[in-house]
Amino acid sequence: MIRFSDIKREAGFVFGHRQIKLTLLVVFLLSSVSLWSGYAEMQEQQATIERLLKKDETERNAVLTHQSNYGMVAYYAFHLTYAPPSPLAFAAVGERDVFPWKHRIRMLALEGQIYESDTDNPELAFLGRFDFAFVTSVLLPLFIILLLYDLKAKEREARRFDLLNVTARNSHAIWSSRVLVTLVPLVLATLIPLIAFSVVNGASVASILTVCAIVIGSIIIWSAIVLAIGAAKRFAHFSATHLASIMLGVWLVTTVIVPVTGHTIINASVDTPEGGDIVLTQREAVNSAWDKPVEDTWQAFIETHPQWADKTDFDPQRDSSFNWKWYYAFQQVGDQTAKGLSESYQAATLRKDEIASYVALLSPSLLTQRLLTSAADTDVQAMVNYENNVREFHASLRKFYYHHLFEAPDFSTASFKQLPQFSPQVSKKQENTHED
Amino acid sequence: MQTNSVICADALTVRVDDRTLLDNLNFNVGKGEVFALLGGNGAGKSTTLKTFLGLMKANSGSATVLGHNASTQPNQVQKSVAYLPESVTLYGHLSGVENIRYFLSVAGVDKSDDDMFAALRKVALQEDSWNKALSHYSKGMRQKTAIALALLRNAPVLFLDEPTSGLDPAAIDEFNALVSELAAGGATIFMVTHDVYGACQVAHRIVLLSNGKLTGSFERAGDTPIDTEAVHAAFAGRNV
Repeated sequence: MIRFSDIKREAGFVFGHRQIKLTLLVVFLLSSVSLWSGYAEMQEQQATIERLLKKDETERNAVLTHQSNYGMVAYYAFHLTYAPPSPLAFAAVGERDVFPWKHRIRMLALEGQIYESDTDNPELAFLGRFDFAFVTSVLLPLFIILLLYDLKAKEREARRFDLLNVTARNSHAIWSSRVLVTLVPLVLATLIPLIAFSVVNGASVASILTVCAIVIGSIIIWSAIVLAIGAAKRFAHFSATHLASIMLGVWLVTTVIVPVTGHTIINASVDTPEGGDIVLTQREAVNSAWDKPVEDTWQAFIETHPQWADKTDFDPQRDSSFNWKWYYAFQQVGDQTAKGLSESYQAATLRKDEIASYVALLSPSLLTQRLLTSAADTDVQAMVNYENNVREFHASLRKFYYHHLFEAPDFSTASFKQLPQFSPQVSKKQENTHED
Repeated sequence: MQTNSVICADALTVRVDDRTLLDNLNFNVGKGEVFALLGGNGAGKSTTLKTFLGLMKANSGSATVLGHNASTQPNQVQKSVAYLPESVTLYGHLSGVENIRYFLSVAGVDKSDDDMFAALRKVALQEDSWNKALSHYSKGMRQKTAIALALLRNAPVLFLDEPTSGLDPAAIDEFNALVSELAAGGATIFMVTHDVYGACQVAHRIVLLSNGKLTGSFERAGDTPIDTEAVHAAFAGRNV
């Protein structure tokens, strides 16, 4: 059993080494800088959202002032949709680096507007951002190895090991105390900056505790790995350097090779449509509608909107003119054409994420990263939820405009008081934050 | 086993894999006795020491210290012994005083600074070096520090591993004098060494070990040291 005197003695001993103090200082600085970087990024995103909201309102008012029919307003008015950063997003930027977190959408076909950004190269974001999640999941294990790799080997090499064991009242107390007085300051150096930033950013106590528990869990797992290798009978006569190389090998395999290989295999095995294909399919459907018989568009449109079946009295050939309801109908049909691909894309995204969750069981670093992004609401599920949130909002816009296009009431700016407003969905985790 | 024996090897046998490192050793060491186990490299001296310290287990027979079996009760044994490893590598970044304070705390022994200074004076460690980092100590000074530590632990049994290896002649004399003084005070001293001359000067009994077997024994008669020539002849003969 460890006594307080053991901890006091080993604390004095461990902190007598300049290297330990320096290592802890570096961890503290890395944690602080990564949090500051994430915090600055989220402040920037929040500022962008606020700026775009103002711009959105100004532009929409201008459109309303200058246009005099619903079709034109629907065509020119932009609507900002966004996923606001959660109070802990600064700690784990996660999928906010890969998936779009804002779309300025119009009443046109939606799927192309959502997946336009997918034509960027998300692989660039593969290595990850230098955020707190990266520091704790990728770099922190290296510091744990650095602090603990030679716990016993160093004493063996200095031929003090037997002396310590023979002299000790309880030899386990020496090693346990040394581990404890090394890891507790490491935990504090990592978490104190996190707690400070979280409090400043208004995160709830529960969510802060969750992140702290994840980080502590990760430190415990990595310490257990390092200590198990150090204590293995098979490696009993290995030098500290040799042990360190084995530990670094484990780090390399679990932190780099398993996630990268897993990522490659998952991408190869889960058939996923390209975002560009969705955009192309939708645009081809929309563009070809100009040249197709109008009945084809109406027929496809009425299948999903039977309530407007007796309001389709327009034919551009016959009427030699243009009509907005036909125009928006083929925009709708464009989305319907791309719907299968879009659903497959989302299902594949979720399937890949599910498989990645199993791969994470082989990689403590990947697991830590996933848990942190889940706690910060920046995981794949959060971004898929945002996409669906955009679809729901676009559906409500369509409902509003279809009514005004098909029923054709006289144009009235007052009617736009009923125009749906986008409000971001707050996840259960964020709801808890606000309750706190 | 002698009734007053402090250290006892009874048909002690140690094997590692298929190699027999100690083969049926039998000896007793009494209270206040200086016992030297003499042998060449690979004779099994360190294995014997480690077995008595509870750091290796006997495959058959027993190694007991103060009645405690070192294989089954290593903690009981370790509480009552002090151990001086071959190269006394205490912590180089700590001073002699800090090292002693650290190891006493590890042992769970509470001693005042006055006790500590008294022990350092007794082992004749120069006072101006007490607060210097151990990395600046000579081997003899480090050995004295370790002996001071052993004194402070009031351990009735001392196990010494090649205690005079690397010491200059003056330091060896000082060390031997200290060992004799400790033995006269009632401490039982078990040393393993290949230093024939040193062992003859200080030991009450010398036992020769070769290839894990006891091959000879020499005992001091009164105050006359054991005959170095006889031991040397036996030792060299066994190690040809």
